[in-house]
Amino acid sequence: MDNFRKKFIEEATEHINELEKALLELERDPENKELVEKVFRVMHSLKGGGAMFGFDKISEFTHHLETIYDLVRNGQMYISKDLLDVTLASVDHLSNLLNDEKINDQLTLEKHSELTKRIENIISQKQTISSDSLKKNHENNSITSTQSSKDEKISTFYILFQPNEHIFNNGTNPLYLVDELYGLGTCKAIPHLHKVPDYYDIEPTKCYTYWEIFLSTKNDINSITDVFIFVEDECNIDIHKLSDTNLLKNKQFLKLLEEPRTGNKDIGINDLQAFVSKLSSAQSIKEKKTEEKVIIASKENSISSIRVSSDKLDTLMNLVSELVTTQARLSLYAEQGGNPELIAIAENVQKLSRQLRDIAFSIVLIPIENLLTRFQRLVRDLSQELKKEVSFIAEGTDTELDKTIIENLTDPLLHILRNSLDHGIEDPATRLKLGKPRQGTILLKAFYSWANVHIQISDDGAGIDPERIRQKALSKGIISVDSTLSHKELIDLVFLSGFSTAQNVTDVSGRGVGMDVVRRKIADIRGEVEIDSKINIGTTITIKLPLTLSIIDGLLVKILDTFYVIPLTAVDKIYAADHNKLTKTFNNLIILDGEQIPFFYLRNEFGLEENKVKSEQVVVVHYEDKRIGLAVDNVVGEYQAVLKPLGKYYKNQEIISGATILGDGTIALVIDSNKAIKYFSNQFIQNQMMEDKK
Amino acid sequence: MIENKKHAINSYLTFKLGDEFFAANVSKVLNILEMTKVTKVPKAPNYMKGVINLRGSVLPLVDTRIKFDMTETEYTTNTCILVLDINMNGEPVHLGALVDSVQEVLEIDDVNIQPPPNIGTRYRSEFIEGIAKVEDEFIMILNMDLIFSTDELSVLKESFKEGQEEVVK
Repeated sequence: MDNFRKKFIEEATEHINELEKALLELERDPENKELVEKVFRVMHSLKGGGAMFGFDKISEFTHHLETIYDLVRNGQMYISKDLLDVTLASVDHLSNLLNDEKINDQLTLEKHSELTKRIENIISQKQTISSDSLKKNHENNSITSTQSSKDEKISTFYILFQPNEHIFNNGTNPLYLVDELYGLGTCKAIPHLHKVPDYYDIEPTKCYTYWEIFLSTKNDINSITDVFIFVEDECNIDIHKLSDTNLLKNKQFLKLLEEPRTGNKDIGINDLQAFVSKLSSAQSIKEKKTEEKVIIASKENSISSIRVSSDKLDTLMNLVSELVTTQARLSLYAEQGGNPELIAIAENVQKLSRQLRDIAFSIVLIPIENLLTRFQRLVRDLSQELKKEVSFIAEGTDTELDKTIIENLTDPLLHILRNSLDHGIEDPATRLKLGKPRQGTILLKAFYSWANVHIQISDDGAGIDPERIRQKALSKGIISVDSTLSHKELIDLVFLSGFSTAQNVTDVSGRGVGMDVVRRKIADIRGEVEIDSKINIGTTITIKLPLTLSIIDGLLVKILDTFYVIPLTAVDKIYAADHNKLTKTFNNLIILDGEQIPFFYLRNEFGLEENKVKSEQVVVVHYEDKRIGLAVDNVVGEYQAVLKPLGKYYKNQEIISGATILGDGTIALVIDSNKAIKYFSNQFIQNQMMEDKK
Repeated sequence: MIENKKHAINSYLTFKLGDEFFAANVSKVLNILEMTKVTKVPKAPNYMKGVINLRGSVLPLVDTRIKFDMTETEYTTNTCILVLDINMNGEPVHLGALVDSVQEVLEIDDVNIQPPPNIGTRYRSEFIEGIAKVEDEFIMILNMDLIFSTDELSVLKESFKEGQEEVVK
């Protein structure tokens, strides 16, 4: 049973996310019927699932919400801001309830009763209003009159309900569903038992029975499909409207149902329709169409994607990594052996494993869009709380990142957004005074750049005042009075721990735990944070992230007896260079293709002795918007590197991002070209300053 | 995993660093390897020897002698790598530790293990779980978790360290 509950929690979390997303969309487009429908369906699933798995509070709570959206769906109520506020608060509450179903926490309990009251208020208000209006404009109000006339109309439906064999595995009891149909109106269910095998062959965990059900009800087809809403995928459901009359009162019809049928045959929709058309020749085609739509829609839903546990994905990624490593060994062995057939096989394996790697990769890539709902929500709630007007725009949300990166990205991004809202964007009055539009803008932009994904968050708010930072840094003793810092250096001070310029500690941000945490968290996923800000124009924070954490295409190079891998995405060109030109230079510049390119002689940088050869190779890589050379002994070739972490013991080791195991078992170190160049250039500057002092 | 002092197993692996005998509880030792090819990682502290390939995974290698303020390990036929399972602030971490030679596995009952004396040893007492006397040799039983999870370079007492440095000078 615990397994079912776990599954429910997993599904419910997804439902809640979906709900939140739909509600935020609904806020922008309150007239959208489909969205209302979606909200309703999700709530219904939650309610049903909750009841089934013993989450009674959730079920009870969602029931109230569902009532509201049922009213909205039927046009008896309209989406208002108030309503959305309550619903969104309820959605938050629901996810709390998932973790704390018995409501042990006092706070949750208070929240629970408060929200329940608010919801009930809305419902009761609505009911008085609608009954009032009914009384007053009984004759001219077209909506209510059709509504009520519809209510009195009874139609008969044919429902074929064929659960698949494994429906019990989900804890569903099909009989309850049939019972639920009985609750909707006059109902007659005919069970078919002929699929039930002999006593000895019977497997009690399987469901062999299916039903043909006839229902005469005031409700429409939607309320019937709603009954089956969370077993859609587990069974075959066919619903047809037979007639706009109550057929179950028709004696002829009842006789037909009770007729003995040969060979365990179903009554079948065809016979019935023939019968009904005999009864009343006018059967509207329009309704048939809607029936078809309902069936098609449910089928499409089941195919588009499947849910896979992330454990399985992790295992898959590990296996693919191992496969790539093993394939490298095979290729090496094949080349050494010189057997042409083996070489051909090895090449094929290489091709396949590369494809497999790419696909496995794309599986764990998630578009940034998945994060957006939370951000939109934050901006919405916070701007209300702070009484600011903010529009949140997101661009390039289809940019994809490894799921591990996405998971670790949420908190830092939320923090940055909170900062922008709290300290960045000014209140409307101040903005108007400054000649800015009343409404502030926060722009989240994601795009690819070389081997990285960049995420930029910019606001058009107050910006960071470098003078205030200087004062703060002075008062904290971080800098001295006579230190001269550039604009950028001053602003970069916000990354120091315990540094927060907010005058008052607000509820939202400014506790002094700030950008330093963001930087550290981003560094954990091998990313970098940069900040740029101009007073009264705004602040832009750029996060640079690696595309993936586990496999990279690299260039294998050799220095002394050690192999290194330079990420291929960073590599621009490879040149041969004269040894003397590399070592007998005072400004670390080399002319390649007629262009002066700064370079680093890696042997020197790594503290190794100079090479004694005539010619060496320079790998030119992209660094920010420049091209920079890295001089190595020689380039070995292209290589798919499965990144293995160097572990905690090398956590301070920045220039090496990991290691990889070559075909012959040797370890190659993967150079993070960006960080390495940054590190080398800092050292270069320090050395020069030392020399200047001399 | 059992915290610090108490181990479920009374077996200890003894090894030598220079002329001194040390022991580690066998529950901490996953494997003993012969010396193998080491890939040096540039710009790392000197006690971090580099990384080795342990059946497809990358294992950091620590020069235990440097941790004990001895000279850098010279590779001989006796040099071994102990693959250790270290509890680093609650997280299991694997690493290789270079030792001059591996001796044997001994059963030592808790009653035969004396608490480390405060005086008379060069090593800081928190790194020593106890001292056992086996056949006229004193064996220092080490707290491997602590020794290899601390960022501090040396397990030597401050006073000894300074003294030694002065001698070196």
